[in-house]
Amino acid sequence: MICAGIDAGSRAIKVVLIDDRALTVAGSGIVAQGVHQKELAAELLNQTLKEAGATHHDIRNSVATGYGRNTVALADTTITEITCHARGVHHQQPEARTVIDIGGQDSKLLHLSENGHVRDFAMNDRCAAGTGRFLEVVSEQLEVALIDIGALAAKADAPASISSMCVVFAETEIIGLLAAGESPENIVAGVQASIATRTAAMSGGRVNGPIVFTGGVAMIPGMAEALEVALGDRITIADKPQLTGALGAALLAAEQQ
Amino acid sequence: MHSQSQLSLAEWDERYAELKRLGLQEPSYGGPISRHVAEGDLRLRRLKYDPSWAALNLWNFLLTEEDRLRTARQRGSKIVGTMKDLGTIPVMAYSLPNLVAFYPDGAWWIPCVMELSAGLLKVADDLGIDDSFCPVRAMLGAFVTEAHFPRPDLLVCSVGAVCDDFSAIAQRLPGLGHAVHWWEIPHRREPDKDEKAVALPGGAEAPSAQVDFVRGELEGVRTQLETLAESTLDDTALSAGIAMANRIRRSLRELRHLVFTAPSSPLPALELLVAEMLAIHFCSDRRETLRVLQDLLTEVRSRIESQEDEPDDGRIRVFWVNPVADLRAMNLFEACGGRLAGTDFLFAHALDEIPEDLAPLDALARTALADPMVGSGQQRAERICRDAQTFGAEAVLISRIPGASHCALESSLIADTVSRELDLPVVEIEVPPLCDAMLPTLQTRMEALVEVARARRKP
Repeated sequence: MICAGIDAGSRAIKVVLIDDRALTVAGSGIVAQGVHQKELAAELLNQTLKEAGATHHDIRNSVATGYGRNTVALADTTITEITCHARGVHHQQPEARTVIDIGGQDSKLLHLSENGHVRDFAMNDRCAAGTGRFLEVVSEQLEVALIDIGALAAKADAPASISSMCVVFAETEIIGLLAAGESPENIVAGVQASIATRTAAMSGGRVNGPIVFTGGVAMIPGMAEALEVALGDRITIADKPQLTGALGAALLAAEQQ
Repeated sequence: MHSQSQLSLAEWDERYAELKRLGLQEPSYGGPISRHVAEGDLRLRRLKYDPSWAALNLWNFLLTEEDRLRTARQRGSKIVGTMKDLGTIPVMAYSLPNLVAFYPDGAWWIPCVMELSAGLLKVADDLGIDDSFCPVRAMLGAFVTEAHFPRPDLLVCSVGAVCDDFSAIAQRLPGLGHAVHWWEIPHRREPDKDEKAVALPGGAEAPSAQVDFVRGELEGVRTQLETLAESTLDDTALSAGIAMANRIRRSLRELRHLVFTAPSSPLPALELLVAEMLAIHFCSDRRETLRVLQDLLTEVRSRIESQEDEPDDGRIRVFWVNPVADLRAMNLFEACGGRLAGTDFLFAHALDEIPEDLAPLDALARTALADPMVGSGQQRAERICRDAQTFGAEAVLISRIPGASHCALESSLIADTVSRELDLPVVEIEVPPLCDAMLPTLQTRMEALVEVARARRKP
C-alpha cells in the first residue's frame, strides 16, 4: 500500500507518495499554491498517483501538513510542518540535530534529539524579512530570476547592509541602495546575509550539528553558504529540500495504524 | 472533557432558555450572554464558553461592570480609577465605605471584545499614540469618549518601575482634566549584603529600605483616598479589607490549583483567565466577586469528583505566560490539544495572599513590591519555572502582545530560562487584539508545541 504526504505550503503544494513497508518514495509532485487550495491539492495528488501507476484505492493513509493543511480535505489527518520536517530529515539523515527550514512565508529552526523527535523549535513571526518572500521581492526589483540570485551574489565584493526588519521597508532600502549606485551583486549578497542572520538569531546561540537545510529557499544557490557564515557551522542541504515536509508527512502517515 | 461541551453563543442561548424553564435563579446582572452582543460586545459571537451556570454568572459579572459603576455613582459613591499597580490600591479603596474602585487599564480588551467598533484605538491614533504602543492605548480612547466607564473622581496611578508605554499614555490624562495621584514604585532589587532583607509574597526579597519607601508612598495614597471618601482609613479597616481580599485570593488559589492539577481540565482556559482577572480590581464589587468565584469552585469541585476513575484527558499540560489581547486565542489553544497547567498573566502578586500578621500598609507595600513587572525579568522567569514544575507543566507558551514592550523584552529571557532550567519545549506567539487573520499561524505554533510535548511522552 501507499501512504501520502501533502504539504500545502504558502507558495507551493507538494505531494510525496511512499511505499508504506519499504518506506521508499513511489512518486512526488509540486504545484504552485493558489486561491483554490483544496482543488489544487486534489489535482496534484491525482496527477502524482497517476504518474506512480496508482489510484486512491492504493492509499492506506494520508497526512496533510503546511500552512494550508486544514484546507486539504482529502487527507486523513493533519500534522504541523515542524514535526513533518523533522521526520523527513531524520529519515534522510538520522545524525541531524538541527533543521533549518526556510519557506516562502516563514522560517523555522528545529532542534532534534537522537530519536529524531523535535526537542524545541523557533519560528519567525514578525515579517517576511527572514523568508523566501524577501528573495522574491529582490529578484523582482533587480529583474533577476530567482534561480540566478546565487550566481549574482557570488560576484559581490562588499555585501550591502540591509538593516530593515520588514520586507516593505527593506524594499525601500534596496531602492535607495540602487539609487546610490550599489551593485545588484552586493545588494543580493546583502539580502542573503540578512535572511541568514535573522535565521541564525532564532537559534538563541544554541545550534548543534549536523545542520540540515530544508524548504524551497534551500534550493537557491548561495543561501546555504550565507547560513554557514551566520551560524559558523557547516550546513547540508536536504535531498530535494522542497519535498522534505511532504516526505515527513508521508512517513508519519505510514507510522500511523 | 470540558472542551467537548463548550458552547457557542447560540448554543448558550438555547441552554439559557432551558435553564430558565427549569427555574434558574439569577443575580441582578443575569441574562443570556448574547445580550451583551447587542451592546456592542461583538467578539462574544466568536468564542466558545463553559456551559455551567457558574460560568454564565462569571461572564455576566464581567460584562456588567460599567452598569455597577454607574449605579454606584447614582448612589453617591465616589469612583476611583486604580491604574497600573494591578491589585494593591483596590484593596485600600474597598476598605473605605463609599468608594468603588475600577481598573481603567482593562480598557485594553475593549478593541477585542467590541471588534474595534468602539474606535478607541483610532482616538489614540489621533492623539499620537499609535500602534507602536501597547494596546492599552485603548484606555486613552476610553477616557476621551467617556463611553465605557463613568468619569472617575480620582485616578491613582503607579509610576516608576512600570511599563513605559503605560506611563506615557497615563501622563496624557491630566491634560484631559483628570485628577491623578501618582505614586512611585521602585525597581525591586536584590538586597545588598549589608542591607536588611524583607521577604515578599511569592518568594522574592527586597531591601527593607525599599519596603519603607513604598509604604510611604502608600501613606500618600491613603491620605488621598481618605480625602475623597471623607472618612478615615485606619489600620483596623485596612486589615479588614486585606482579610476580604485574601478570601478572594484564597478562592482563586484553590481554583487555580484544581484546574491545573485535575486529571482532566475542569474549567476552560478562557474562563480561568477571566476569573483570575477578578483578583486585580474585584470587577467593582468585592463581595460579588467572592460569590462568583465560590460558585465556580463548587462547579469545578463537582466536576473533579465526577472524573474519579476516569483516565487523564491526554491533553498537553501547558504553562501560559502573559494575557492575550484576543480572547479567542484561549479557545484555539484548547482546540489544539492543550490545557492549562499554570499561568502568569503578569499579575502573580495579585494572587498571592497579603500578609495578615504585619501592619497593613507594610503588608501592602510588600505585595506591591512583589509585582512581577517591577522586578527583574530573570526573577519572573524563575518564578515561572517554579510554578511550571509545581503544576507539572510539559510545555510553556509565551504570548506576546504587539507593541507591549514589557512582553517583547521578557519573552526571550523567559524562554531561555525555561529551556535551560526545565528542558521544556517553549513557543512564543504574538496575539493582536483581533487575531482572526493570524489563526492559521497561531494554530501551527500551538499544535507544534503540543506535538513536541506529546512526542516527549513516548519512551
